[in-house]
Amino acid sequence: MPCENYREALIEAAATDSAPSRELRSHLDACASCREAFREERQLFAAVDSGLRVTANAEVPASLLPRVRAELNQRHVPQPSWVPAGAAMAAVVALVAVIVFLRGFGRDTVPTNASVNLFAQHVSPAEIQPDPPVVAAIEATSLPAKNKTVWAAKTAPVVQAEEAAVLVPAGERQAMDALLAGVRQGQVKADILLAENSEKALADLQISPLAISPIAMKPLADVGAE
Amino acid sequence: MQELVLIQPVRAAEKEFAQEAAQAALRREFEERLAECGPLAYRVARGVLRNNADAEDVAQEALLRAYRRFERLRDRGRFRAWLVRITFRLAIDRVRSSKRREVRETLWSETSPRPSTEDLAATSEFQAHLDRAMEELPEKRRLVLLLGAIEGHSLDEVSEMLGLPVGTVKSRLFFARKQLAEKLRCHVKTIEKR
Repeated sequence: MPCENYREALIEAAATDSAPSRELRSHLDACASCREAFREERQLFAAVDSGLRVTANAEVPASLLPRVRAELNQRHVPQPSWVPAGAAMAAVVALVAVIVFLRGFGRDTVPTNASVNLFAQHVSPAEIQPDPPVVAAIEATSLPAKNKTVWAAKTAPVVQAEEAAVLVPAGERQAMDALLAGVRQGQVKADILLAENSEKALADLQISPLAISPIAMKPLADVGAE
Repeated sequence: MQELVLIQPVRAAEKEFAQEAAQAALRREFEERLAECGPLAYRVARGVLRNNADAEDVAQEALLRAYRRFERLRDRGRFRAWLVRITFRLAIDRVRSSKRREVRETLWSETSPRPSTEDLAATSEFQAHLDRAMEELPEKRRLVLLLGAIEGHSLDEVSEMLGLPVGTVKSRLFFARKQLAEKLRCHVKTIEKR
């Protein structure tokens, strides 16, 4: 068989670095020129592989990973998509609540316990304790609320949000913002505030039962005479 | 009258804290993969671009892109393959969109180390021919060839990275090497004759 017929088999054997077939081997034993061609092909593929390894395994610059980490720290602090929308919604709800509150306050002529009167029609009696000041809308909160005035707003018509909301003094809002900022900066650990509620934390909020004096029942004096 | 504001203290705080914690965990997980796969991204980019500075830029972009989408990657075990594909695609895009390609190639040849012996000269020349020949390969074959050469990946590993059957990888690798050999055959003989 002429040498040309072995050409493809010869290249394939060199490319796959496999042993030549029996037929090709017997031809190579007999043909010096094909033996030389086979040797050259093997050298060629070895050179290709060697060159590929050089190209593919270039030394990685030491600056790569620090650069990526620096970029991650600067640009890519992931922000959830709901934050801007949520902030805007909260701002609108807060504005509406303040407007409604001020209007209601203006109509009420009694200065003391004004806010209690304002919300009294919406809050069930069990949630209201006239003295000390109103404590309500606390069932959804797990934060300790010791020595804080929390105004009843849960059932007010202006607060239709899915989440529980409360009206608090402005200073308290600032304190909450400062706390969240501390968490973001790593100065405060979030785990502390995510811990389970403790009974002790809510103990200070226990409401003493209403003391109702027994009512003396007397029959009317003149019923029998009529 | 005391000024009042409306807040939703607990839910907002809990969401914020939970998100902070989740992001921290995500970042830690990504950092582990960054150290492991960063070099691979660079080498894939370098294999396509043949330029160190461009390869570093592309690898960085690929890693940052991977981080941005990391949360959405369901099977984290596929990160390596995912990163390879992102990097390869970015590198190919850069090659295509670059209008200064010729300039870069000139710079590349100028910054290559000057060979001190004939053998080194021959090697460097062969390497240049090899790089050009690789550039002419179809993308699918080129990626298989590159991954097979990077860090000594086996056929199985390349197959897993690309999500292809081993037979397909083997076939692409065979034809890619054969195509390279066809283009380089004359150069090898020329170099050997010197």
